[in-house]
Amino acid sequence: MDMNKKEEYNSAIINTIEITKTYRLGEREEVRALKGVSLKIQRGEFVAIMGPSGSGKSTLMNILGCLDTPTSGKYFLENIDVSKLNDNQLAEIRNKKVGFVFQTFNLLPRLDAFHNVGLPLIYSREGSKNDKKERILSSLEAVGLKGLEKHRPNELSGGERQRVAIARALVNDPSIILADEPTGNLDSRSGEEIMAIFQKLNRQGRTILLVTHELEIAKHTQKIIYLRDGIIHNFEKIKNPIDAEQKLKEMPRLENKMIENKIKQAKSV
Amino acid sequence: MKRLLENIKIAFQSLNINKLRSFLTMLGIIIGVGAVVAMMSVGVSAQQTVVQSIQNIGSNLIIISPGNIEEERGDIGAVIGTVVRDELKMEDAEAIKRESTLIEDVAPVIVGSSVVSYMNKNIQVSVYASTDSAEKVYNFEIAEGRFYNSSDVANSANVAILGQTVVKKLFGRMDPIGKTIKIDGKNFVVIGTNKPMGATQFGVDQDKIISVPVTTAQNKLYGFNYVNLILAKAKSEDAMDEASREITKILQRQHKIRPGEPNDFTVQNQTQILDTLSIITTVFTITISSIAGISLLVGGIGIMNIMLVSVMERTREIGIRKAVGAKNKDILVQFLTESIVLSITGGILGIIFAVAVSLTLSKFTMLQTTVSAMPIILALTFSTMVGLFFGIYPAMRAARLNPIDALRYE
Repeated sequence: MDMNKKEEYNSAIINTIEITKTYRLGEREEVRALKGVSLKIQRGEFVAIMGPSGSGKSTLMNILGCLDTPTSGKYFLENIDVSKLNDNQLAEIRNKKVGFVFQTFNLLPRLDAFHNVGLPLIYSREGSKNDKKERILSSLEAVGLKGLEKHRPNELSGGERQRVAIARALVNDPSIILADEPTGNLDSRSGEEIMAIFQKLNRQGRTILLVTHELEIAKHTQKIIYLRDGIIHNFEKIKNPIDAEQKLKEMPRLENKMIENKIKQAKSV
Repeated sequence: MKRLLENIKIAFQSLNINKLRSFLTMLGIIIGVGAVVAMMSVGVSAQQTVVQSIQNIGSNLIIISPGNIEEERGDIGAVIGTVVRDELKMEDAEAIKRESTLIEDVAPVIVGSSVVSYMNKNIQVSVYASTDSAEKVYNFEIAEGRFYNSSDVANSANVAILGQTVVKKLFGRMDPIGKTIKIDGKNFVVIGTNKPMGATQFGVDQDKIISVPVTTAQNKLYGFNYVNLILAKAKSEDAMDEASREITKILQRQHKIRPGEPNDFTVQNQTQILDTLSIITTVFTITISSIAGISLLVGGIGIMNIMLVSVMERTREIGIRKAVGAKNKDILVQFLTESIVLSITGGILGIIFAVAVSLTLSKFTMLQTTVSAMPIILALTFSTMVGLFFGIYPAMRAARLNPIDALRYE
C-alpha cells in the first residue's frame, strides 16, 4: 500500500454505528449477541478485540468480515454502507476488501500452497494470468514461504499453514485483515512467528483486526477493545506493544531444547 | 470460457479424489448408455441387412403367399409360415404368366430342408426350388456352371446348384460341377454354384443352400403339388399397384372365389413388406428407448445421491470459498459442472464399452454390427441432460449454504 493512497482517505476504514445482532432460537427465544456496538478503526491500525466466550466477538467478526449483516445499525467499510448489501455484493466486498485468517487455517487440503493462496483470485475477474501469478508469489514471499509453493497443507507445519492462510488473505490487497484467534491452534513459538508477520505487515501499512482471548497475544497490538455481553466494555491503548521479533530471539529454539535434553540424558547415563 | 475450463478442472480433481466412488456412480450411466448404443448398433445393422436383402431379391417384386394374412392375423399357423399351406399351385403361377399384361415374369418358389451328401460327407441344407424364371425375377447369381433351364423344369431333372458353404463342405477345393451328389438319398448332378452371399444379421448362413427345379422338388423330394410362394416381377414400378390388382383377379378366377368371399391368398409388394418391417423397427426403438430412459433415470438418481453426499462432505470447502468471495452462482456452477462431468464421463465410457462390445460381437459371432453417430450423439445429449437435471438440486443446496455455518461445519 503506497503512501499517497494512505493520505487520500484519512477517514476510518471501519466505522460501525450502534450495530446489533439478534438471533432467533425457535419461536420465542431470542439471543441478543450484539447490543449496539460503535467502533472506528483507522487506516494502518493494529487492533485486538478481546472478550470471554459469549461476549459476541465472533458475531462482531462475522459482521465486520461481511459474512453476516447486522440486525440494526450501520456499518461503513471504506465509506460503503455494507449493512444494506445483498449476498452477491457482500461476496464481492469479501473478495476485494477483506482478508480472513482463521484459527483452523481453513485451507483446501487438495490444493498446494500456490493454489490455496490463489483461491480468492478465481473469484475476482480482473487481472491477467501472469499478473495473478505474480501476486500469489509476492504474497507467499511476504509471509516467508518462498519455495514452498508446491507443498500441500499436510506437508506443512501448523505455523506454515497459517502463513499460507495469511498469504491468501493478502493476495487481493484487502483494506483490512481480520484474524480470528490466529494463534489458537499453534505452539507458542509458531504463534509468535505469526504475530511477527502481522507486525511486519502492519508496519508496511496494513490494517489488522485480531480477535483473541489471550492477553499476551493482544499485547502485540496497538489497541485492545474489550467486549463483554455484546457491548464494548473498555478500550486500552498499548503504549509499548510486545515486539514479536525481539521475543523470538529470546525464545529458546525448540531444536536447541531437544539437543539440550539429549545432552542431559547422555550425561545422566 | 476460462472459468468454465477452471470449473471442469476442479470437477475432475474432486472426482479423482474418490475414484472408486465416482466410478460406481457413473456405472448406472455407463450401463444405460452402453446397453442402448450396443443394442442400437446390432439393431440398426439388422434392419439395414433385412431391408437390403428384401431389396436385393429384385426390383418391382410382387409376392403372392398362400392364406389370407388380413383374415388370419393372429392365427399361429399363418404366423409360423407359408410352408404348410397348400393354396398356391404351379398352375396359378402359369395362369399369372399367361394372362397378366403387366407382369414380366413369374417364379413359383418352394423352400425346404434336405440332407445332401457326397462320398462319405453330408450336410443339412435349405433347399430353394423354382423355375428358370427365377434368374430373371430375383437376383439369383451363378458363380460357375449354369442355372437350370426350362427343359430341366419340364422334365423334373435331377440337377442342383450349390451354395458356397455346401461346395466347401462336400468338395473342399475340388470342382463340383458335373459331380453326382445325393439329396435325401437321390442322385443329382451339380450343374452350377452360387455366388457367395455371406451370413444374415441373425447368423444364418445364406450360402448353406442348394437350388433345384421346382418340379423336381415337388415330385422327387417332398411329394406335394403346391408351392410356398409365387414371386412376380412387374414391368415397371408405376405398374405395381395395377399389377397387384390384376394378379388378385386372375387368382380369384383361378381359385373360383366368388365376389364377396375372402381370398385364400395374399398379394403384397416390397413396399408393403418394408412398411411392416418399419413397424417392427419402431417397436424395437421404443423398447430400447424405454430401457435407456429407465437406466438413465436410475443412473441420474445415483448421481444426485452422490452429489448430495459430496456437498455435505465439502461444506467446509464451500464455506472457505464463500469467505474468500465466491458468489452463490460460482458454487452452483462448480457443483453443476461436477455432476455434468460425472454423467458425460459415464456416457463416454458407456459408448466406449458399447463400441468394444459390438466390435467383439462382429468379430467372434456372425452378427453384423454398425456403430452409427446417431445413438452416440443421443447418448451424450441425454447423459448431459441427466447430469444437469439431477445435479441442479444438490448444487442449489451447496450454493445456498450460509458461509458462517459452513465454515464451522466439522
